[in-house]
Amino acid sequence: MASITTEEESKLLIVLPGDQLPESGLMEDSSAAHRLTLGPGLAPMDDDSITAVKAGILKHNAVGNRWWVESNQRRYVAAQGESIIGVVTGKSAEHYKVDIGASQPALLGVLAFEGATKRNKPNHNIGDLLYCRVSMANKDMEAELECMNPTTGKADGFGELKGGFVIKISLGLARRLLDPKNLVLRLLGQHIPFEMAVGTNGKVWVNSANAQHTILICNAIRNSEYLNSAECSAMVKSLVEKM
Amino acid sequence: MSRLDRTRTSAHQLRPFFSSQNLLNRADGSAQFDFGESSVMCSVVGPAEVKLRDEKLDKATIEVVVRPLVGLPGIKDKAREQAIRETLEPLILSGLHPRTGIQIVIQTMKDDGSILATAFNATILALLDAGIPLKSILGAVTCIVDAETNQILLDPTTQELANAKSTHTFVFDNKSSITSDSKQEDKEAVEVATLYSDSTGLFSEEEYFECAQICYKAVQAVHGFIRTAVQKKLEKEQQQIHS
Repeated sequence: MASITTEEESKLLIVLPGDQLPESGLMEDSSAAHRLTLGPGLAPMDDDSITAVKAGILKHNAVGNRWWVESNQRRYVAAQGESIIGVVTGKSAEHYKVDIGASQPALLGVLAFEGATKRNKPNHNIGDLLYCRVSMANKDMEAELECMNPTTGKADGFGELKGGFVIKISLGLARRLLDPKNLVLRLLGQHIPFEMAVGTNGKVWVNSANAQHTILICNAIRNSEYLNSAECSAMVKSLVEKM
Repeated sequence: MSRLDRTRTSAHQLRPFFSSQNLLNRADGSAQFDFGESSVMCSVVGPAEVKLRDEKLDKATIEVVVRPLVGLPGIKDKAREQAIRETLEPLILSGLHPRTGIQIVIQTMKDDGSILATAFNATILALLDAGIPLKSILGAVTCIVDAETNQILLDPTTQELANAKSTHTFVFDNKSSITSDSKQEDKEAVEVATLYSDSTGLFSEEEYFECAQICYKAVQAVHGFIRTAVQKKLEKEQQQIHS
């Protein structure tokens, strides 16, 4: 049985499906009333063990005794609260059908925009790019989206993305791009002004002054996935020099 | 002793492994696995949309397509499809993705014997690459009982298969445990958790369990290799954060 020791938490602890978490290690925070929160990649099994179900890095947060597996994949599975980029593929009286890269298209209510009423609502066409928030997602139904912040009712950046270009990347890379300290974006920003929207569904929208810059930025983002910091700097430098 | 392929000296020695992951950019997951000169590539697409008639209300529908090295798929390939699908169905946590489809396509690239085992190993690597939730990983290995010497040879080549009295393919998961107590060989063999077993030819019960035992030990090496391959890929992805 492949079991995980908690002593190795400081370095990357890689787990595969079938690896079981040791019971003793999980209950170290006994002050949290023996409660355990499982995130993505971990599931309780019939034999009462907690097993990893995806390959990835085992992570732990002492706050709330949270355990999860940080894994990477290319297919998106909708989760509530995430910000994603979708393409309108259909329109009905009440909903837009939006392709978000999941197994089924998601539904976006026609009135789920800032200040929308029956008389005054935005009109989107098939093929439009929208930056939305997932308002509801579960495994049995189509996901539902909204183009506004639910607590304030304001757009807050959600809505149509005009112009620009969208590329498809892995979900892990998309999450890394959301980090404010992301290296490739910082390096690109030193040479080219651009705007960008990152969808956690693996889609990135980039817009800059001309097509050449946009393509350069998209290529740099794609190339940066498996590079380390030094290689990344060299890659951006060589792309910018060719400009 | 010298095996027919001249690179191996022992009856219980496997050919060198090789694997590659994330090779196809249009698939959600892909991998190639080699046992010496036998090479199989596998692609996984899913969880994706599935035709209404194939839809299952509470599970994902798993479809396996096996393509041979040359020619159109025939009966042998259909049999392999069934073997792989029936082994994977209990392993994949399809309840997490109801009403979707997971399509697995397996293509033989080079054939030098033990193709079914190679296909199983390529499939599990592709499933890990695609991030499909699994209860455990699997590992597969083939062995034969030589017609002349009655010796059990592990991971046979096409030449060795031609001299086989019986051929056995075993697939084991990575949740089972084994005691290294050699006095209880028969008991160990029965307690081993086998996911799939396929035997052809004439053989006795003792020979069968001895083959199972030998294959089980060899599959540990396959599991270790899969773990290392996935580890290397994850370390590369995380380089910028952890370097």
